[in-house]
Amino acid sequence: MRLLVLLWSLGPLLWQLRTSLLRPEALVAPLLEGNPWTLANYQLVLSGDPPFWRYLANSTLVGLATTLLTLLLAVPCAYGLHKERGPLRWGVGLALVAAAMFPTVLLFLALLEIARSFGLANNLLTLSLPYTALSLPLAVLLLRAAFADLPGELEDAARLEGLGLGQRLRFVLLPLLGPALASTAVLVFLASWNEYAIALTWISRSDLLTLPIAIARIGGGSVFTIPYGAFAAATVLGSLPLLLLVLLAQRSIVSGLTRGAVKG
Amino acid sequence: MKSRTVTLLLMLPALLLLAAVFLYPMLRYGWLSLQASSVLTGLVPVPNGGANWGRLLDDARFWTDAGQTLRFALCSVILELLGGLALALLLHRPLRGRGALRALTLLPWALPTTVMALGWRWILNDPHGPLNAAIHSLGGSSYGFLSTPATTWFFVVLADVWKTMPFVALLLLAGLQTIPADLEEALRLEGASRFQILRRLTLPLLVPYLTLALLFRLAQALGVFDLIQVLTGGGPAGSTESLALYAYLNAMRFLDFGYASTVMLATFLLLLVSLGGGWLLLRRHGLERTTERAA
Amino acid sequence: MSSRSGAGLELRQLGREVGGRCLLDRLDLQVAPGECVALLGPSGCGKSTTLRLVAGLDPASGGQVLLDGVDLSGRSPGERQVAMVFQSYALYPHLSVEGNLDLGLKVRGMARRERQRRIDATLELLQLGELRQRRPAQLSGGQRQRVALARALLRQPRIVLLDEPMSNLDAQLREDLRPELRRLLCGREQPVIYVTHDQQEAVGMADRIALLDAGRLQQVGSPRELYTNPANRFVAAFLGRPAINLLTIEPGRQLGLRPEHLRLGDDGALAARLLRREWWGHQQLLWFDSQWGTLRVLTAPEAPMPQEPRLGWQRQHELWFDTESGARLAA
Repeated sequence: MRLLVLLWSLGPLLWQLRTSLLRPEALVAPLLEGNPWTLANYQLVLSGDPPFWRYLANSTLVGLATTLLTLLLAVPCAYGLHKERGPLRWGVGLALVAAAMFPTVLLFLALLEIARSFGLANNLLTLSLPYTALSLPLAVLLLRAAFADLPGELEDAARLEGLGLGQRLRFVLLPLLGPALASTAVLVFLASWNEYAIALTWISRSDLLTLPIAIARIGGGSVFTIPYGAFAAATVLGSLPLLLLVLLAQRSIVSGLTRGAVKG
Repeated sequence: MKSRTVTLLLMLPALLLLAAVFLYPMLRYGWLSLQASSVLTGLVPVPNGGANWGRLLDDARFWTDAGQTLRFALCSVILELLGGLALALLLHRPLRGRGALRALTLLPWALPTTVMALGWRWILNDPHGPLNAAIHSLGGSSYGFLSTPATTWFFVVLADVWKTMPFVALLLLAGLQTIPADLEEALRLEGASRFQILRRLTLPLLVPYLTLALLFRLAQALGVFDLIQVLTGGGPAGSTESLALYAYLNAMRFLDFGYASTVMLATFLLLLVSLGGGWLLLRRHGLERTTERAA
Repeated sequence: MSSRSGAGLELRQLGREVGGRCLLDRLDLQVAPGECVALLGPSGCGKSTTLRLVAGLDPASGGQVLLDGVDLSGRSPGERQVAMVFQSYALYPHLSVEGNLDLGLKVRGMARRERQRRIDATLELLQLGELRQRRPAQLSGGQRQRVALARALLRQPRIVLLDEPMSNLDAQLREDLRPELRRLLCGREQPVIYVTHDQQEAVGMADRIALLDAGRLQQVGSPRELYTNPANRFVAAFLGRPAINLLTIEPGRQLGLRPEHLRLGDDGALAARLLRREWWGHQQLLWFDSQWGTLRVLTAPEAPMPQEPRLGWQRQHELWFDTESGARLAA
């Protein structure tokens, strides 16, 4: 049972790994003589123009900027929403759920217009602005649930000791929110790493492409001319950071989504 | 009063950004859909009455795409829920190496859609992909999986299920973890079989999570774009084109921003209607469930 | 304790309403310097609400809180110099014992040396020196409570508030801790308010008891006053275990008789039939059936049981109440 599940989940990925290590001739004619294994595909990808690590760096930069900005905006918003007792609590909560479900591709045209009129296109840091907005709904919902999980008496105690709002957040609440912040950060980073439609329209300079776009471009030609070996090598290289992230943060991804689902 | 102001101020920056990115585009499309804004007008918006909407009503391609999108969404979401439920039940059981298993099954969801879409393209490649290689070694002749509408459609759904099933499983796993173990034990003491426990206890208690997963996935699937753009480009012969892809093509290839806005807005409205309908259906069903259990 | 002199804590017409629901109805209460008043009542009676209003954690919808004659109403919790021990203790789980004590002092900008001196002194007072590096999760319930107390005392508060500080401890520990808590908290210059739903604890800790029900003050006074001279049926029924017997012997009026005031003999006014005995060692509780209903009677453990038991009492022990309103009636 377990093996079957693993085969289903990992099979296509393992096939990519195999493909990436084969010589191009071996891909087309499997019965060729001699050693079919090679690292040439990786050399090809890494020595391209721009070299492949460039895309990794771009995606990482956008991911980090997005994560940072999202947390910066989501933490106060989640706290405010947690404290809010008026009708806004209900309204904003509902709007956040709706926004979290929204298929983001429908936004690209208007966002592209904004990018053009404000000169935001072809810039990795400004790209993190729409990314932040796309991640905010989920991040706020997750963090609000985390705030609600903290015992209210802790903050009361801190207020009695004379801690202001900023001090309460810094010394009491945020340190206790560590796990929730970590899982939110991982989810935001993943979402930003994988985003396609907006990056596709905002970024045209080839040295600024993010990973999903770069990979799609490698495969952009007709089905017959895709350099599959090189492409597979790119896939493997592009997946490795995510593989590490998911393995390391498995617990916090699961707990983050769990909390979001329970409270959302 | 004072603290109320503070909470509002804390929420403000995030809400402003959200309004700019989610609300503004919808308003903008509303306005653009009433304009002619294409290569013909030099991309300068010129009011054209409701011409775009009139064109939409007569646009066979739009309605074909709408049907295709709906069919894709329903099929893949139902399969994802079934597969996700099975996967969640498996991951919920105390197995050795459960943490690693969870991480590894999660991997397809964590990878960029484009990466895995190209991966599938290679697997289905005619004639060199592994699937055709397997057919070859069994003595068959290679088959253009991505050049026949039926098989293409099947593999688009399969690829989507493969990618998003782990996400659904994770949501349902969250639901499973909220069910107290003693409820199941109590039922087992009364001699219920595993299937009866699943049907009488687990599934009813999972209904809120199934609903959440269904609505969330349905919304995402109705807006499917990157998977189709990379895997099939909408082909063969437009048979897998989705509404979002059509809107994208209108904007970026045909450079008709007015009509693209109309298509996007129409897609959004269709999505609202489908979600609202789905929700009402579920609610009625849920009510029946509750009364059935109360009786 | 006159309301004009103004020393100590005074609550004037203090009220709180949330969404049209009245949680506390115009409470008047004075606590003298060094006095400990217990707020007693069933859950939801408004006792914790009162405490939070005094601390300034929730806004009052009416009335004032005065300390030594000065109105605290506009002040934030941090400015009120109030110390509070919470039911959950509310220790910061990510900080050590020392860190828990230090945080409040640090944010007030106190010099490190002075902070250290105060913390050391307080840890000494509460015999917590050994545990200073521990996290709350590594402490027992009693130790956590002592740390919470230490944190409250450290700030040299002008008011001390305790919100069910012992309800998370087991019964034996609660009894053992009462004298220590009194030694540490009461009889200094600060007024102390102690919230509890446990009448034994209230009697054991407080100089006076204020009994609340449904947001209203029912009676305030010494434990003895409340017990012997209850203002109404609620007070009579809430205090005293086993509970008072309430007998409807004539229309419109109820007679209250405490179990220990009923005498078992063969010449009492009321014929009774024994239903059940509970033997408690130092006493026994007898349950009787009579024409007025079931009665609880406390007697000595070896009291003889007459052939045909009758119950008697003295006129001075009779407590009469209005059946409808529960108000106390003259005998």
